[in-house]
Amino acid sequence: MSAMSEASKPDLATVERFRAVMLPHLDAAHGFARWLTRDPVQAQDVAQEAMLRALRYFHAFRGEEARPWLLRIVRNTWTDMRMKRGADQPLEAAENHPAEGPDPEQSALAGDRRRQVAAALAALPQEMREILVLREIEDLPYKQIAAVLDMPIGTVMSRLARARERLAIELRGRLGRREHGLPDL
Amino acid sequence: MDCPTCEAMVDAYIDGELTAVESADFERALEGCPECRKRLESARALSGLLRELPAEPAPDLLRARVERELRTIASRPRERLRRRMQWSAMAASVVVALGLGWLGGTLTGQGSRESDALVASYLRVAMAEHTVDVASSDRHTVKPWYAGRLDYAPPVHDLTTDGFPLLGGRLDMVDGRKVAVLVYRRNQHKLALSLWPASSAGNSAPRVSERDGFSIAEWRHGGFEFRAVSDVAPGEMTSFATALDRAVDADR
Repeated sequence: MSAMSEASKPDLATVERFRAVMLPHLDAAHGFARWLTRDPVQAQDVAQEAMLRALRYFHAFRGEEARPWLLRIVRNTWTDMRMKRGADQPLEAAENHPAEGPDPEQSALAGDRRRQVAAALAALPQEMREILVLREIEDLPYKQIAAVLDMPIGTVMSRLARARERLAIELRGRLGRREHGLPDL
Repeated sequence: MDCPTCEAMVDAYIDGELTAVESADFERALEGCPECRKRLESARALSGLLRELPAEPAPDLLRARVERELRTIASRPRERLRRRMQWSAMAASVVVALGLGWLGGTLTGQGSRESDALVASYLRVAMAEHTVDVASSDRHTVKPWYAGRLDYAPPVHDLTTDGFPLLGGRLDMVDGRKVAVLVYRRNQHKLALSLWPASSAGNSAPRVSERDGFSIAEWRHGGFEFRAVSDVAPGEMTSFATALDRAVDADR
């Protein structure tokens, strides 16, 4: 998180291109950060820092899909912030923090079921949570998920399957399975 | 297709990752496999539950901060570096705060939430997305504009002679309450003054603080709470508050 070097200082045209290409994905960046951090304040810090990093490295953007490119930076930013925090607080403790995903109560259509689903998702370990968010909320194909998480597609598939299994178990404890047709594993 | 094969394809099928031929094969296999049909239904139900979670769009404050960074970078390359340092310092302070005790959502108290709202309100003014609803330096135009739009009549004063010409007024929300925001200019800077009736009596001297690189002044005078936000120096903020208090007193 050092200041930009003179060499990579973006010029006006770069900023304008960045604004057109990346800024439309700020909602996605924030949404992903929200699920990674499970904290509204940190989510904003991560999303903002990620946007600045994205601008700094925008010269390396080769016109691939913008959203996964940005989401990967969001994830890296969060990883770095966690590592810095790790110096003061063990990761374990952070992971055991009462899990808070985005609060579905804020939606006019909020219901107990959504709250339970959000809580179950937020309670998953990061490696399961992030892949479910990328697949089901960001609606990314396997190939793009593989790019965001920097892993082979085969790993995406096996990890996604495990995450779904685990979420189903979490949810069965919270919701009536007959009503929602969840698997009886 | 045997059952283990078709079972392994359930996820890829609902994720739209199979080719047309593979999908057709899978669908044919399903007909003879009630177990896999059940599995598919479950997977769809789970996916449906996740997909009905409400999206949480980027908050206005975040959008405004990012916009401000981009504008700063685009317009003043030198200035940008200074701002970057401020942001880094802030991020570092967040990290420190987390180290001291992670309180999650309670990290920000009531006071800083109000400051966030005020800074966001100021940014809407300063970034000209929404400068003023009524543009006038004439208090006799601005003040009546609030009638019927607010449940109180805000004191409106042009402070041109003190170096803070009035640009106009608008409405904004601070802590769920609709408030009057008067917009002033100081040289090339804008200053947003939010004001509402005080709930306690007496005057208090302006307290000037800095947040995210902005000066914020808070004080109470003549029965009103005042909150001013701007990117002017803290000293100028104090001059503004003094000038306003004088104008309020002269009016009574």
